[in-house]
Amino acid sequence: MGGVTLRSVVRAGAAGGVVAIYVSLVGLYTKFADLELVGEQVTLGRVLLTAPAILAAYVVTRPRVVAGERRSVPFGNGVAIGLVSGLVTGVVFAATVWFADWFGVERIREVFVQISPQLIDFLTFGKGVPAGLPVLVGVCVVSGAVGAFARTAPASVRAPVLVGVLAVLLLGLLQRIVPIVLIELGVEADWLYSPVTGGLTWLGGLGIFGAAAAASILWKREGGRARERVRSTVREAPAARLGLLVGILAILAVVPLLLGTVISEVLGQVMIYVLLGLGLNIVVGYAGLLDLGYVAFFAFGAYTTAILTGAFLNTTTGAAEPALSADLSFYVAVGIVALLAAGVGLLIGAPVLRLRGDYLAIVTLGLGEIVSIITASKWAQPLIGGPQGMRGVTKAEVFGLNFQDDPQDFYYLALAFVLLALFVSWRLAASRIGRAWNAMREDEQVADAMGISTIKFKLLAFAIGGAVGSLGGALFAVSIGSLTPASFEIFVSITALAVVILGGLGSLPGVVVGALVLIGLPGLLREFEEYRLLIYGGALVAIMILRPQGLIPNVRRSRELEEGETSQDAWAKGATGEAEAVAAVMPGGALGGETEELE
Amino acid sequence: MSEVAHLLELEGVQKHFGGLYALSGLDLHVDVGEIVSVIGPNGAGKSTMFNVITGLYGPDEGDVRFRHDSIVGLAPNRITRLGISRTFQTVHLFPNMTVLENAMVGQHCRSRAGIFGSILQLPGIRREEERIRQRAKESLAFFGSRLAGYRQDQPAFALSYANRRRLEMARALATDPVMICLDEPTAGMNPRETLELRDHIVRMRDELGLTVLLIEHDMRVVKGVSDRVIALDYGRKIAEGTYEEVANDPQVIEAYLGTKAVG
Repeated sequence: MGGVTLRSVVRAGAAGGVVAIYVSLVGLYTKFADLELVGEQVTLGRVLLTAPAILAAYVVTRPRVVAGERRSVPFGNGVAIGLVSGLVTGVVFAATVWFADWFGVERIREVFVQISPQLIDFLTFGKGVPAGLPVLVGVCVVSGAVGAFARTAPASVRAPVLVGVLAVLLLGLLQRIVPIVLIELGVEADWLYSPVTGGLTWLGGLGIFGAAAAASILWKREGGRARERVRSTVREAPAARLGLLVGILAILAVVPLLLGTVISEVLGQVMIYVLLGLGLNIVVGYAGLLDLGYVAFFAFGAYTTAILTGAFLNTTTGAAEPALSADLSFYVAVGIVALLAAGVGLLIGAPVLRLRGDYLAIVTLGLGEIVSIITASKWAQPLIGGPQGMRGVTKAEVFGLNFQDDPQDFYYLALAFVLLALFVSWRLAASRIGRAWNAMREDEQVADAMGISTIKFKLLAFAIGGAVGSLGGALFAVSIGSLTPASFEIFVSITALAVVILGGLGSLPGVVVGALVLIGLPGLLREFEEYRLLIYGGALVAIMILRPQGLIPNVRRSRELEEGETSQDAWAKGATGEAEAVAAVMPGGALGGETEELE
Repeated sequence: MSEVAHLLELEGVQKHFGGLYALSGLDLHVDVGEIVSVIGPNGAGKSTMFNVITGLYGPDEGDVRFRHDSIVGLAPNRITRLGISRTFQTVHLFPNMTVLENAMVGQHCRSRAGIFGSILQLPGIRREEERIRQRAKESLAFFGSRLAGYRQDQPAFALSYANRRRLEMARALATDPVMICLDEPTAGMNPRETLELRDHIVRMRDELGLTVLLIEHDMRVVKGVSDRVIALDYGRKIAEGTYEEVANDPQVIEAYLGTKAVG
């Protein structure tokens, strides 16, 4: 069956069963049992219940390479495989539930606190253990078929259905956000989101499904042409390029006004991480120096901003003046912060100049930890408040905009910084400096032998990356007004790196998309807060396996490949054209008319 | 000796790795406008010599002088800036950069755009970038149509083996060198490509006015291009002179054949 053996089907199904058991153990089912997505029947808990069987079937029906040829599994076979795989998932899962019930839920609960009678009730659809188990198995079998459908159905059917389903799920999940936005926009939303359940109504769900599926079909038919037309207009007319830029800026400018406070706040957080990602992208993506201690620059930026703008230390008796303090305007301070951070970049860069790869990563990890520990230490208390932290960071008010208390205003400050950092990154990448970094990343020793001072350009990367990252810290300090060491732990380094890698190393749009996915989605879906790390981990593992180059890979390089081929054809055509022209004027050539004249 | 204006001079250069002496007291000199070939069996220390000259290794003892000044202890990039450029025995390009970008990297040390200039793209910086591009194209054009047209926008990894070798030489030429060190440039090339390359080496001297220091195994190339031939064995110079002199030197024959020369 297209390279799929029964053994691999059973194995995938069993793996699905194990995943289902794991999801039960971490309590995802019970937590989301009552989160209605569509109507009263489709809850997030039930969607998650079908997920393991769907995933298992989706994975096992993947195309395989048989004798050097990539073969897709035919639709009919696929569904059969999906049913078998789903059956195995269901049997494994149901058997475990049955065993848990027999063993005693209360006894298991002493170890696995999430296993509760409610969970058993949920998994057996309220029917109790022997009676509900066949239903559970049945649900898994159907889910298996659905997973196989999602992989093996003809593309013309599969794509619109998948897009539709994903759109419904996403809008269902965003039920706390989208209605607020709609109200802000003055749109009547009761037909879409039910006031009773909070989720989508059946009418709304069907409407979204239809709209998304239609959009998918339309995109498939017209999208490529439309994109090509836009691209060629933009390439040929500078005025169109300017217009596009102005259009994008205008949209960015009205976003907070249209979407309201909640989304603006999330976007503010996203942009802080875009800054961190852009800075880290210079170090890791451009220069190829793996820095795992990037939180150092974030902390440095935040605390230095606080000190320079006259913040206070938190103490047990109230507030105290830090050992060093200035009362500068934020806009003066932030320039100084960036310069000083560049200096810190040199300090961190200097001892690690000779290190490469893993060694560099470990040393920077250590340096980052040192900074985290210093922020929380008693030793640094007189300067930055130690464990109690600081408060009273400037609000950086300008033109009556209050960046601390009003997320909609903060959005503009953050946007200005992000645009600046994007501009700097973009220009540097396309310059002599970017070329030197590129060469150094590809082969350090050869770059040195070709006249690039690797010491200078490594330090430069650390300095510029540090300066950009410190801007993220400065923004963070302004946005929340008070600092505690808990905000400056290793998790910041990891998240920033995850943003860069998820988006695609060296890719500026990638950094933005990476931050939107890793910071924006969790920010909007507060329900998942507890499971944030689980989802991060899952997302990173998935991206590394499925798309190691990142969501939006460095366009320059992929374009080089693509254009290399097309221009090769064009060149070959031109070359044969020339050859014919030469043959035509050659005396004695195949073209009789002209030869006669010449004779 | 020292009153003669040698371009490059090695004096008593020693280099050892652990107990292995790759170079043991090597003396040699190269004059302006010469093509000097260095021959010797595998492990004779030829590539080590190149690495010492270009700063990849520091010598344990001895001195390397370029235009009378010692270049021992300088970083490779400084030596490149002084005017010594090189290629590698195994091709080392920047595989994911385009052919043109590879050559443009060569011009790095002859340009100066800094951070602020690069960000603001001032007119002077744009002109410089344009000049870098032109100079890179010129050095690619040295190899005629081999590295022309669409190929310049392809990533370097897409090139054929011989073209990679040519690109490496073009990149070295783009550093505007005084002297170019070619480490087995014809290795792995077919006879026609080898012949073509032999002409290129002569053109480097005659058209570009370069001094060429060449490591080569193909004796037809050595014979065809060399003004002078130096034979190394065990990290020491064992013979020097015209091709005929060196080729008939009993020590050289012994080094290659491993036994006392017959007759």
